Amino acid sequence: MTAIGCRPSAIGRAIANLLLILLCQPAWSWQSPTRELEEAEEQAFKRAVSQVAPSLVRIETVGGLDQVQNFLLGNGPTTGVIVSADGYVISSSFNFLSKPASILVTTTDGKRLAAKAIANDTVRMLTLLKVDAEGLVPARPTAKPSIRVGQWAIAVGRALDANAPNVSVGIVSAVNRVWGKAIQTDAKVSPVNYGGALVDVDGSVLGVLVPLSPQDNSPVAGVEWYDSGIGFAIPLADVLATLDRLKQGKDLRLGLAGFNFASTDLYGGDTKIDRVRYDSPMYRAGFKDGDLILELDGHKVTRPAQVRHVLGSKIEGDKLAISIKRGEETKRADLTLVAELPPFEAGFLGVLPTREKVGSGSTEGGAAGDGVGVRWVYPDSPAAKIGLKPRDRIIKFRDQSITSAAQLIDQVSRVRPAEKAAVIIRRDGKEQSLEATLVGYPADLPKDLPTSAIEAVADAESKTPDDNKGGEAEKLRTGRFAEEVAESKNAWWAFVPESYNPAYAYSLLAWLHPPGDTLEATVYDSWKLEAERRGIILLGLKAANINSGWQANEAEFVHETVVSFQKKYSVDTGRIVLHGYDKSGPFATHLAFKHRDLFRGLLLAASAVAERPPENLPEYRLQFQLICGSKDPAHATLEKMAKSLQGIKYPANFTSLSDLEHRYPNAEGIDAMARWIDSLDRL
Amino acid sequence: MQNAECKVQSVEQSEGQIPLAVRFQAPTASRSARSRSVMQLAICTLHFALCTVLFPFSAHAQSTRDTISALQPKVVKIFGAGGIKSLAAHGTGFFVSKEGHIATIWSHVLDADLVTVVLSDGRRFTARVLGAEPQLALAVLKLNGAEGVEFPYFNPDEAISAGTGTRVLGFSNMFNVAAGDEPVSVVHGVIAAKTVIEARRGVFDSPYSGPVFVVDGVTNNSGAAGGVLTTRDGLLLGMIGLELRNAKSNTWMNYAIPVNELASPIQQIISGKFERKKDPHEDEPSLKPRRYKPLDFGFLLVPDVVERTPAFIDSIQGDSAAAKVGLRSDDLVLFVNDELIQSCRALHEAIGRLESGDQLRLVVRRGNELVNVEMPVPKKKE
Repeated sequence: MTAIGCRPSAIGRAIANLLLILLCQPAWSWQSPTRELEEAEEQAFKRAVSQVAPSLVRIETVGGLDQVQNFLLGNGPTTGVIVSADGYVISSSFNFLSKPASILVTTTDGKRLAAKAIANDTVRMLTLLKVDAEGLVPARPTAKPSIRVGQWAIAVGRALDANAPNVSVGIVSAVNRVWGKAIQTDAKVSPVNYGGALVDVDGSVLGVLVPLSPQDNSPVAGVEWYDSGIGFAIPLADVLATLDRLKQGKDLRLGLAGFNFASTDLYGGDTKIDRVRYDSPMYRAGFKDGDLILELDGHKVTRPAQVRHVLGSKIEGDKLAISIKRGEETKRADLTLVAELPPFEAGFLGVLPTREKVGSGSTEGGAAGDGVGVRWVYPDSPAAKIGLKPRDRIIKFRDQSITSAAQLIDQVSRVRPAEKAAVIIRRDGKEQSLEATLVGYPADLPKDLPTSAIEAVADAESKTPDDNKGGEAEKLRTGRFAEEVAESKNAWWAFVPESYNPAYAYSLLAWLHPPGDTLEATVYDSWKLEAERRGIILLGLKAANINSGWQANEAEFVHETVVSFQKKYSVDTGRIVLHGYDKSGPFATHLAFKHRDLFRGLLLAASAVAERPPENLPEYRLQFQLICGSKDPAHATLEKMAKSLQGIKYPANFTSLSDLEHRYPNAEGIDAMARWIDSLDRL
Repeated sequence: MQNAECKVQSVEQSEGQIPLAVRFQAPTASRSARSRSVMQLAICTLHFALCTVLFPFSAHAQSTRDTISALQPKVVKIFGAGGIKSLAAHGTGFFVSKEGHIATIWSHVLDADLVTVVLSDGRRFTARVLGAEPQLALAVLKLNGAEGVEFPYFNPDEAISAGTGTRVLGFSNMFNVAAGDEPVSVVHGVIAAKTVIEARRGVFDSPYSGPVFVVDGVTNNSGAAGGVLTTRDGLLLGMIGLELRNAKSNTWMNYAIPVNELASPIQQIISGKFERKKDPHEDEPSLKPRRYKPLDFGFLLVPDVVERTPAFIDSIQGDSAAAKVGLRSDDLVLFVNDELIQSCRALHEAIGRLESGDQLRLVVRRGNELVNVEMPVPKKKE
């Protein structure tokens, strides 16, 4: 035993190796592990824990929130790891989600110290604390390259007992997990050791324990895996590498290069760049839309997931070596990553595209693939200035042949305001080359917006057997109908225009009933006419408990119901709108930001945008309309809010309704909202 | 008589403790994670069983595998009341005498006219509750019709204690995986901590209060309570407790009650000399009047607006005890007589409990400093 005492590290490794060898044998050839081996291992665990103990502190907090995102926060003690003799302590950000009024640190000798939160690492979910102390014992980091899958890993915290650390023993299950950020372990990791250390048998620290999830980067993500055998630790070596930056008191944020992929398939798609963001590190280095990424930091990459693996642990200011292929040419550059990109702003031409019949290539003015027709031209817009008129067809835009309205919207959004773009149109059978100087999206609504014609269903057409949507249409319900959802206790009602013709794409207005007075009759009565005129399907959704209102876990019900309508009916994916009024506004906002791939419009009546809006992204087009009465106390706030949305380059309209108090919009308001919905496919 | 008394106790418990049912419903996510672990453990059990069959006589005594085969016959499966909602109708127990006395957890499972005990070799017995100590969550059963039969057993008097990091084995019929003549499931882990479950209501909603071994393996699952925790070489440590949620961290706990605490009541119940200790809190009114308030010391707190309003001092009265010791407005009270104060409410409670003649010791945070002050508790005019 003396020999073991002298060289804990060597014996620990030897034990780990021996165990690995044992585990590799088939069961029937197992040697019985001896009592001596088991005892030696146990001694090694205990020694490792006692070696790391002086570097672990117990953290207590006072005051603060009792829940975050519907997640109940405990207020018991937690753990931190000392990283410098002069009082810096690193811990898991999870331990401070309650935004406590005061943080207290107790060192291993029982001394209590007032602590200050210095900065957060928002990429790896860590928080740096500082206490006034000297002569603390900093944790000794394990060298990263020496960390091997299968070696012992001991999770140590200080939450359970004031006098001694709490311990869980496991192995290193993987390294470079969660996009390159973390070591994975099967030791039990939970709030009783978040912020504590994952320790090697030699007492050095592999990493700092944190909750993490590969799918989600919210601060409570990964907590649901507590004690499951899936735990994560941020390598201490990585923490120390960024310690000086954290000490400056500035939060560390994810480093961005400024591009997105054409493919949304992380594992199946290729690395072709869809867009290089304006004025981003990529843009400044001369990279372009359509470039194919070949290598990042010397790693060959062929799939978006591999790219994310390299970029996932990058922090602003970090370097990135990148090489790409453009045609036959290759190009490489060294980028310095940034935390923020200039807001994305799409250019605006001033055109509403003709809504072509779904499925059939035939259009009013030409053959299939023959550009996109102009339905309406915004007065004083770039399109008006170059003389575009309804019934013109846009054949080419910036040398790209135009085949659909969606493609044209995408192409126009690639041009920044004040930039020029070549447009080729066909009018009366003749092509004309024009050049437009684009502008930003206008805040005002068009005053008179003609409706887009929807032909009545011709009998013969609806019975065409090869037209799927048309065939199903006979079974589809139109008019007003309702349903209750037994499992979730939610209910919905819908109005599908009586004249519904599946050959045309409709707008979908998902109306979230506010708590209490459900307004079903008001909403139905005021919208029915506009729904018929402008081709809008109304879907009224009710919270499970209509009196207390929407709960976060009802997001799924709303999402599922909207998607089921989208599948059943002919719906334009570019015109799906969430609509909230008064107290249902915040939930509408939450959902619009949560499901950015589904909702293209957020329409709030007499209600504010209750969450901080995410960055405007080219891949998720989202437009806002805020509407309220001029006598509504919230009037000024909402007007300001629309301005600040425009400031971060979102298309946002504010509509003020004369002489209206805090009420659901009147006829004037319905008309304005309907015009806004009917112009969501503007470009 | 003993038995009848316990019945009454159990009824009181189930009525007063509605959260019991709540406790048994783990969030689905963690539940499935736990079930996953259980699957792995079940495989482990099989593996161990296989090894035991193939190597019945190992050259090395007292390795983990030998321990397991020696101990499994001492642990039994218990079937009784339950089976509704999320309350399991099964539990675990262990022999504490060769005559067939079984120690187990005091739970709803025993609330049946007939309790059935199934041994690891498949033998079935009915059993009756000989006695119980609800404060320790302990019950002792006696097998019926087992006269003249000898059973392998743990001697509770030989139970030991062990430190954090000690490798342990948990034996229980978790999730009722073991059927008929199958031995109970074995899980392994280490002692994560030795700590004390405080009987404070709302923090730990547990009938048991006292020291526990916290385990890093998932030992406390449905039906596992009443199983045993032993060292790797087979020494008895604890009895696995009921599923319990730690309100401080919002996590499910895996823990065992040290058999050291249970040994003498077990022996007393067996010998028929057991007298239930009086619950020290039994006679206390549940809501004590608050005797003192901050103003008695000359300070006022900020308005208590949220669940965890920090206990900031709002104002100090001139010429008061608080003014004399130098308390200031904006000081944040962190400790009252060594008790951490996490909210205004907690401060009012702590000060309310003071008695005339006590000293009131406060630790306040002023900027980045911790300041200690001490004041005598004034006499109250009755």
